[in-house]
Amino acid sequence: MLRYPRWPIHAMLLAVSFLMLVPFYWVVKTSVTGENIFAYPPSVLPKSPHPFYYVDVWYYIPFARYFLNSVVVSALAVIANVVFNALAGYALTREFRAKRFVLLLFLSCMMVPFQATIIPAYLITGRLGLLDSYWGLALPQFSTIVCIFVFKASFDAVPRSLVDAARIDGLAEWRIVWKVMMPLAKGAIATNVILGFIWSWNNFLWPLIVTRSAEMQTLPLGLARFLSYQEDTTGALYAFCIMVLAPGILLFLLAQKEFIRGLASGATKG
Amino acid sequence: MSSAAIETPLWRKLILNRFVLTLGILAALTLAWNAYVSTHDHGRVSGRVVDAEGRPVAAATVVLWVLNFTTYVEKTRATTDAEGRFLITDNDSHNIRLAAEKPGVGRSPRVPVRLYFRAEDVELLQPLVLSASG
Repeated sequence: MLRYPRWPIHAMLLAVSFLMLVPFYWVVKTSVTGENIFAYPPSVLPKSPHPFYYVDVWYYIPFARYFLNSVVVSALAVIANVVFNALAGYALTREFRAKRFVLLLFLSCMMVPFQATIIPAYLITGRLGLLDSYWGLALPQFSTIVCIFVFKASFDAVPRSLVDAARIDGLAEWRIVWKVMMPLAKGAIATNVILGFIWSWNNFLWPLIVTRSAEMQTLPLGLARFLSYQEDTTGALYAFCIMVLAPGILLFLLAQKEFIRGLASGATKG
Repeated sequence: MSSAAIETPLWRKLILNRFVLTLGILAALTLAWNAYVSTHDHGRVSGRVVDAEGRPVAAATVVLWVLNFTTYVEKTRATTDAEGRFLITDNDSHNIRLAAEKPGVGRSPRVPVRLYFRAEDVELLQPLVLSASG
């Protein structure tokens, strides 16, 4: 078999990776130097780096409170995403009347932007008495159609005979989901966790609308508040961005293998 | 499944899990940092005041400014002892400035001091230097 040298591919991948990492490097560098981003010529290496912009961010706004709010809301969203999307995904693997219609409905709903549904979402949340609460903040992110299809694709890959065997053994449907399907869908779970977390963590519009007190605000709102407080914010602003981004990046790095596996299975078996 | 995987006890698998390990290390670092902060946050700022020749200046007034939102406001004053040393005990900020002055000797420029946390105990490495032009 003809074998091609691998180094050109590796060199190209290295170059592309480097290009992709430059913006991240620049944000980190500015967060520890505070230098003007329009300075010319730009300095590639940080001059006199220090961590004090991070200290400023911590004290200028109630960062710990915002962080806690974001963590709680994201945790609720992630747990609900895994549970509801798994149940919905399993239902879509079964045969039932109007299944094609439901699938079409889901697919068409994906084309409706959240901004278009924000008023009914607000009214429903208000009627439930959940405005300005963690549950209210997380409610619209309890289930996402993309993630339902990720679960569906993963469950579709499970041999039918396995489900039939479980049913013959007397397992109820919900136990089939939790005992048979879920252990075989780790990639889909990781994808749900990461996407649910990142979408919830970065959400700006919904928390802006649904929160009324400063104590319930999340980190993206804190960033906007921070910008309105401070004028000369170059270093602190970039430090804030790093502090907001870090948990999402950490989660992705920890679960990237399962995440990519989950997305790949969704792409090939959907 | 390999035999090693079967034989590994559950508690060991849980501890060595990368999620548990990473979050555990982060939690341990946070705890250690908070323990350090709680034992070093008495608001003490100390240092020395010298004249242009490097001799200690007694009875010089040291002024502490703290950042108040966007401007620095005077927080407190202290006086140096015979060896030119001063001690401020009620700093509650993380972003401060210090200056010293003594009539007849001169004044020092305002020195910015950045702290890692509020009310951090700190000793200035460089003395405040009084000069007639300061």
